[in-house]
Amino acid sequence: MPETEKIAILPYRKVFQIAWQGLRIRLVKTFLVTSCITLALAFLTYILVSNGLAAQVAERASEALRQRLAREGLLEQMLSPEQRSQTAWMLGIALMISFVGIVNAMLISVTERFREIGTMKCLGGLDSFIVKLYLFESLCQGVVGTLLGMAIGAALAYAEGVSRFGAEAWSLLPATALLRTLAISFLSGVGLTVLGALYPAWTAARMEPVEAMRNEV
Amino acid sequence: MNAEGPIPNAEGQENKTGELSAAPGVSSAPGGEAGADLLATHIVRAIGVRKVFTMGGEKVHALKGVDFKVKRGEYVAIMGPSGSGKSTLFNMIGGLDKPNAGKVFIDEVDIAALNTFELAWLRCHKIGYIFQTFNLIPVATALDNVMLPMLFADVPQAEAQDKAVELLRKVGLGERIFHKPVQMSGGQQQRVAVARALANDPAIVLADEPTGNLDSATGHQIIELLREINRSEGVTVITATHDYKMLSVSDRIAWLTDGVIERFVEREALDIREGQTDAR
Ligand SMILES: Nc1ncnc2c1ncn2[C@@H]1O[C@H](COP(=O)(O)OP(=O)(O)O)[C@@H](O)[C@H]1O
Ligand SMILES: [Mg+2]
Repeated sequence: MPETEKIAILPYRKVFQIAWQGLRIRLVKTFLVTSCITLALAFLTYILVSNGLAAQVAERASEALRQRLAREGLLEQMLSPEQRSQTAWMLGIALMISFVGIVNAMLISVTERFREIGTMKCLGGLDSFIVKLYLFESLCQGVVGTLLGMAIGAALAYAEGVSRFGAEAWSLLPATALLRTLAISFLSGVGLTVLGALYPAWTAARMEPVEAMRNEV
Repeated sequence: MNAEGPIPNAEGQENKTGELSAAPGVSSAPGGEAGADLLATHIVRAIGVRKVFTMGGEKVHALKGVDFKVKRGEYVAIMGPSGSGKSTLFNMIGGLDKPNAGKVFIDEVDIAALNTFELAWLRCHKIGYIFQTFNLIPVATALDNVMLPMLFADVPQAEAQDKAVELLRKVGLGERIFHKPVQMSGGQQQRVAVARALANDPAIVLADEPTGNLDSATGHQIIELLREINRSEGVTVITATHDYKMLSVSDRIAWLTDGVIERFVEREALDIREGQTDAR
């Protein structure tokens, strides 16, 4: 008996395994939530990259490209105050969509499992197990969804850039600027996903089991 | 089962209160040998438990000072109409919620004094829970559901699996170990819940309206299953219910009305007054 009279602080590997298994079993839901993150991040990355491209045109574009853009009246338009405020607006909207979309998706997908959290606590699950479980689940979804979204968003932005500025678009953004942009996207995507999941999971984990079981949405 | 765990046993200082508050119908330990014997025999002691819920500024007194003791190996039914406070009492005894006043001792350990780690240990090893709504993990198979508490108890995978299969056989689900809850009937799900409750050889099985979502015949099977486990393993069973089928298997019945235990009825008394029980 003493051998089994323990309470386990499950190793990270084990919790990760459980989280991964759960994600695979809830395939449809996992897909829906992840695509929500992907969409939001595609939009955000697209806006960030295409804004970056446009901003660099004024400074780094070749003489030939500038003259062509000026001829078509595009250069003037790109530097106009209206364009600048529109850019800011788009960025604001992209951030808002990411925040609301991702946090909302995670909040819902965790709160609808409050009963499960309460049940796990009844069975001897530690608060830290529950928090870790949702940390890993949301990390997996966040990383996959964010990377996918970033790839889509950046691809769209460059495709548009090439169609407007020609092959020069590829070299417009310096590597450091591009990396910084992608890092911002990545951190926002993963950060929002994990926060959106951990906040309700942490709340539920600290509740008395009955409260968690009652609070089902 | 006692002193081995990480939970320190409470000293005997609470015994006096316990004896004084012995509710009518409970036969407390006879005369002189109170101290040690009381410790040994009562696996659950609730003393003056009160619970108040506040809903929209209004206070609901769900439990108004309940004294309740259960002996090791007993099968006790908490009976009462809906809203009388059965589930609230169940939650207090099971350490799933905290009383506003009063104390609950499990194996003479005051559960209010436990930290979260010790409380998890208690829920994992000492108590098995069964709910009206089954509360299985929906995405997990019957086997995984039964293995989960053993995972929390750090039982090695292979051992846990063998034991889970054995338990599922015992509750008559040997053929359905890989079924998910949605692929099972209510009665089958509740059997999985019974197997899960027994996973870590608990001293107590707590069942809140275990037959509430089942038809009469299936409910009867679950009641018999609980009775059998109580007899064969010596597990203390406490059920909150308003199912009169429970009466025939219980050693003792606590009648709860409006947050107060009105009276206790021993099994023998019940047999004699069989005619009247229907009327109640
Ligand atoms: N979380 C809660 N918030 C407010 N009132 C509650 C809550 N839980 C139970 N109650 C009230 O406490 C009383 C007892 O409820 P409960 O223990 O669930 O009764 P039973 O299980 O016997 O049907 C009821 O009046 C119920 O409305
Ligand atoms: Mg109830």
